[in-house]
Amino acid sequence: MSSVEIIRFAVRALLANRLRSLLTMLGIIIGIAAVILLTSLGNGAAQYIQGQISGLGANSITVFARSPGETAGSTAGSAARPLTSQDAAALGDPQGAPDVTYVAPVVQTTTTAAAGRNSENATVIGSTAAYFPGSNSVVEVGRAYDQADVDQAKPVAVIGRTVADDVFGVGSVPTGRTILLNGAPFQVIGILKYKGQGGGLSNPDSNVLAPITTVQSTFTGFGNLDQMLIGSQSTDTQAAAQSEVESILDRRHGITNPNDRDYQVISSAQIAQVLNSTLGALSALLAGIAAISLVVGGIGITNIMLVSVTERTREIGIRKALGATPGAILGQFLVEATILSALAGVIGVGIGIAGTLIPLPGGFRAVVVPAAVVAAVVVSIAIGVFFGGYPARRAARLRPIEALRRE
Amino acid sequence: MTTPAVGADPAVLDVRNLSKVYGEGDTAVHALREVDLLVRRGEYVAVIGQSGSGKSTLLNILGCLDAPTSGRYLLDGLDVANLDERQQSVLRNRQIGFVFQSFNLIPRTTAFANVELPMVYAGISRRHRRERTLAALDLVGLAGRADHRPNELSGGQQQRVAVARALVTGPALLLADEPTGNLDSQSTADVLSLFDGLHAAGRTIVLITHDSEVAERADRTVVVTDGRLRDQVGLRS
Ligand SMILES: Nc1ncnc2c1ncn2[C@@H]1O[C@H](COP(=O)(O)OP(=O)(O)OP(=O)(O)O)[C@@H](O)[C@H]1O
Ligand SMILES: [Mg+2]
Repeated sequence: MSSVEIIRFAVRALLANRLRSLLTMLGIIIGIAAVILLTSLGNGAAQYIQGQISGLGANSITVFARSPGETAGSTAGSAARPLTSQDAAALGDPQGAPDVTYVAPVVQTTTTAAAGRNSENATVIGSTAAYFPGSNSVVEVGRAYDQADVDQAKPVAVIGRTVADDVFGVGSVPTGRTILLNGAPFQVIGILKYKGQGGGLSNPDSNVLAPITTVQSTFTGFGNLDQMLIGSQSTDTQAAAQSEVESILDRRHGITNPNDRDYQVISSAQIAQVLNSTLGALSALLAGIAAISLVVGGIGITNIMLVSVTERTREIGIRKALGATPGAILGQFLVEATILSALAGVIGVGIGIAGTLIPLPGGFRAVVVPAAVVAAVVVSIAIGVFFGGYPARRAARLRPIEALRRE
Repeated sequence: MTTPAVGADPAVLDVRNLSKVYGEGDTAVHALREVDLLVRRGEYVAVIGQSGSGKSTLLNILGCLDAPTSGRYLLDGLDVANLDERQQSVLRNRQIGFVFQSFNLIPRTTAFANVELPMVYAGISRRHRRERTLAALDLVGLAGRADHRPNELSGGQQQRVAVARALVTGPALLLADEPTGNLDSQSTADVLSLFDGLHAAGRTIVLITHDSEVAERADRTVVVTDGRLRDQVGLRS
């Protein structure tokens, strides 16, 4: 009997039992599609988080003001001292903090940003030129403000892409034009490169960056700082820089117990660590769910294949009585299982990949993992062929009359 | 098929001291008890006997569908017990046409495909299969039912499809388990005259029947009683 005949028999049998064929395929389709979708989601989340990590700014340390008592175990009573420009100056002293490469004091406020008839809310961040590398902000068009702008408190602004789109029109290049921040005119000198959601914890594309002196004189007054962005030479010296920062601020703020600190220091390494461990847990979770769905799909296939062969034992008996060799019987069932699994595999991959194209809320998207696609298809087909082949092999060995007597 | 020595009165079927026991211990059923049977080439043998006497059991063993519990069965001089699965399949395919008591058509498969099946396993080309399948269906009067599935056919029509399937390969040995059990007198006569034709062409036929008229067409009648065989004498017309 030729292989063409075996394939013809297999196709005919599959068509003669459409519902059963469909149910078998459904198990495989769902299994494969689930694995592809879940691994793609995990991968997408991973890329999203990695984007956030890289958006943090290389080797930066952020110092926030904080009232003591926000952590457990603090000795209540000591008055909180704000972060001041003097603190920033002390940290910038290479004598006291040799591992600190720059200190960017930050004040920020929320204003309306307007031009013409358009008006939008924006976060205005006042700092020094060091803020750009410290926050990983890249100027795409125009220029960043420099030390001279800061010294002279020039009303200049570098705006995020979203601000430019909202206030001046999508895709516009408004360098040289005037933007009104709470009514105060600023000249746009640069536009930041688009970061997407992957740039830190607030949306950096809605920021307006201006010299700290200008922001203080226009909006916040020359009082306290909201934060300080502190750089170190490399990731290796970041820990040293952090402890220098802490000891200087402890001394200046009169703090003896670290629990009483009225400020908080977070390094980019620490954030990356937290995000990475979150990512690890997320990936493990999704891989687990994917494995379970593959197993469940596999059990479904096995079930239907077993039922199918048992149900067709009589047919196997007839074929044997008419002269089918064990090899011809086994061949037909294997080809049937392979056709079903392969067809279902293709459909499953199609549905899985189509599913990853559905837009997701939260700004991240599913990214297909090719290895997972291959693994899902191979495993499903292997399950289908093995569990279709195994009972068929058993049935093919039966004496014809025994097979014929099975109900 | 090897031709035996001329004039040796060759036995195609040679059954010696053969027994078949179903089950074990208290529930054991002795379906055949130490039976002997010799069928010569070209002989037409009818097997009769009461229900449950062991006729189908005997025919299944003759058709290599089942194995005896003890005793020997030589088909064309060959001890079937010595053949492996594959060789037995090929033997069934090339030498034997079998009509089952319960038809045993493949469900959800057309009459055409059912009749064609043994020729597929024999490796006959598609064009020849088609011709011969249609001819066989025509022979049993079902040319117009080629595309019908078993559940779309009457009992008698299913039986005739089963007969066509057994004849289509032109087997040297035809084993038929009540092939006319579901047929009206006209269809019975048609099928029997088919068998007569095969007999005239030199085929060996063993046929089980309850119908004495059917048995009368045979050269010889064997009676099965409670698992034992004896030749029937004195009823020859
Ligand atoms: N698979 C089996 N297991 C146990 N007993 C069986 C089996 N097949 C047949 N028998 C028994 O063997 C005996 C002979 O059965 P068999 O089918 O050969 O009868 P039969 O002569 O063909 O009867 P009928 O004319 O009704 O077809 C019966 O008593 C039957 O119950
Ligand atoms: Mg019977």
